[in-house]
Amino acid sequence: MDLSPFEKDNSVSCRLASQIPDVCKIEDCCLGIDEAGRGPVLGPMVYGICFCPVSKKEELKDLKVADSKTLTEAERENLFQKLDEARNFVGWALQILSPNIISTSMLQRTKYNLNALSHDTAIGLVQYALDSGVQLKEVYVDTVGPAEKYEEKLSQRFPGIEVTVRPKADSLFPIVSAASICAKVARDRVVKGWNFSEDLGELDTDYGSGYPNDPKTKVWLLKYLDPVFGYPQFVRFSWSTAQTLMDSKAVTVHWDDDEEDGEKAAQRQNNRSMLSYFGASAGGNNQNPTHQTHRFFTERRLKSLDTL
Amino acid sequence: MAAKKKRTPNVQNDSWVVVAADSVIDTDRPERDPSFVRLRNPSTDSASLYMLGGDDLQLYEVKAFEEDFHSWFVGQTVQRDGRLLFVTPMDPLFLILPYLIKVGKEGKFQPVDQVVMDEEFPACSRLLSCTRSQASLHHIAEEKEVGSLKFHRYSQEKTMTWLKKKVERTVVALKKRNISVGEGVKSTTYVRVKSESDYHEEDYLRYAHGLISEYISEDLSKALLIHLELPELTSPKETEPPSKKRKLSDKPVEAGEDYTKFNSADFARKPPKKMTAAQKSLAKVDKSGMKPMSSFFSPKVKAEKK
Repeated sequence: MDLSPFEKDNSVSCRLASQIPDVCKIEDCCLGIDEAGRGPVLGPMVYGICFCPVSKKEELKDLKVADSKTLTEAERENLFQKLDEARNFVGWALQILSPNIISTSMLQRTKYNLNALSHDTAIGLVQYALDSGVQLKEVYVDTVGPAEKYEEKLSQRFPGIEVTVRPKADSLFPIVSAASICAKVARDRVVKGWNFSEDLGELDTDYGSGYPNDPKTKVWLLKYLDPVFGYPQFVRFSWSTAQTLMDSKAVTVHWDDDEEDGEKAAQRQNNRSMLSYFGASAGGNNQNPTHQTHRFFTERRLKSLDTL
Repeated sequence: MAAKKKRTPNVQNDSWVVVAADSVIDTDRPERDPSFVRLRNPSTDSASLYMLGGDDLQLYEVKAFEEDFHSWFVGQTVQRDGRLLFVTPMDPLFLILPYLIKVGKEGKFQPVDQVVMDEEFPACSRLLSCTRSQASLHHIAEEKEVGSLKFHRYSQEKTMTWLKKKVERTVVALKKRNISVGEGVKSTTYVRVKSESDYHEEDYLRYAHGLISEYISEDLSKALLIHLELPELTSPKETEPPSKKRKLSDKPVEAGEDYTKFNSADFARKPPKKMTAAQKSLAKVDKSGMKPMSSFFSPKVKAEKK
């Protein structure tokens, strides 16, 4: 698996793919979709597809591509090797979604949430297979959100293809399990070889599992939290764990377009009550108490100074 | 970022970011630097910062654009003070005027350099070196010449005429720059669809008067208002210009915009709608358990209410 296209720029999304086996362009094929790294707050999320002719389902099973969750990293690497060696009838493709892409998608003004991102990525990969000439007849995928809705969405998007959306699909369908292995192997390698564009000096790589509820991960996050710039791009800023930590430990940021109730805004701006302008004894700063600056200046936030 | 970065300690700021008129930097005489001076602000009667150009030939006012959470990146350093200073030319007569007025009560003609003196702000005498100063005194004072010496006495009449001209020139500038002078929208970034003809001339005059008032004493401001023949506004209701069309309906009138947006903490109550007196008293009452009046009325009155 050549990850160099992603390593060149790990701030964007990247597609990697194997060669398309000739036989997949001729015979009816089945395709499995699975993802890796959806939950962690660190590193990319990887979507993977794996496809082979329907007639070769048994041969695929023989490769022993079992439930990848029960495998160790080394075992997965092994299995990927086997899949790679079976390249005369097995093809795969991956979409690596960098943490930066995940963060910016989820935080952009018109919110693009993780589910939508996931669906679009999966659809993109299936379309890629079709565009590459794969004769797709069956698609198997694990649920992302409600299973029925997802199945319907995919069926409509890909008419003529039998779509099966099932929870735990990776343990039910070997082709999904194969996809899962590809995705996980890719994620593991990317995370291990992550190139930090930030200047972090002697990097502490002991960040635990990368899951937000892992205490080791939390400690690592805190360690690499910069009060102004937040985290390295390895971190998903959109994760609530990351945000909560920034809210409490980083410099306060006020975003003008955030909804803020009137009182808070007034306190922040140290505004004076309207009433203070009407009346003899209005409190001023160091000025004549009844002096109120003309709105030409206040509207433009312009003030006189009495000293530098 | 690996080790927890220590915040650099706050140091006294010794540099500022300034936008200034070209004339501030006198390229002909580079050894003559402009200088900041503290002078008496005619409107507040306390110290304000001004600038005098090289050789004190030109007076400038100094304003700071200030908002929360601003800092500057200057080259490779961060300047914590995020203010942006504006230095713009200003007529020195505004600052000379208060001194003339003060001795004007004595009714005597006096040499101006003996009048423009201030223990608290000794730099004020430099104002007389400004190019415009000596030549323009006749706008605000009666002038008498004895030999080569000039003597001046404050003239309210002349000053009013002079100030009115200032207001009129300001009105021209406001119109030219499409400044929003109406009472409706307060935001400078809001682009009005209304054309400027929708503003009454009075709106412009009032606004301009308000702006000029920033440079004169309150007494003078009031006198100017009279001179401009603008009635004084004493309550908020009167500021609503007649050009605004409000639809009259039985429904409660809603505010055009959320005026409560920037209420300070000492406003306990938020009044988003203008309520009628009846609605106001109803609002004060505890209505729990009460049916709304409308529930007693239906298209087919089934049971007569007794």
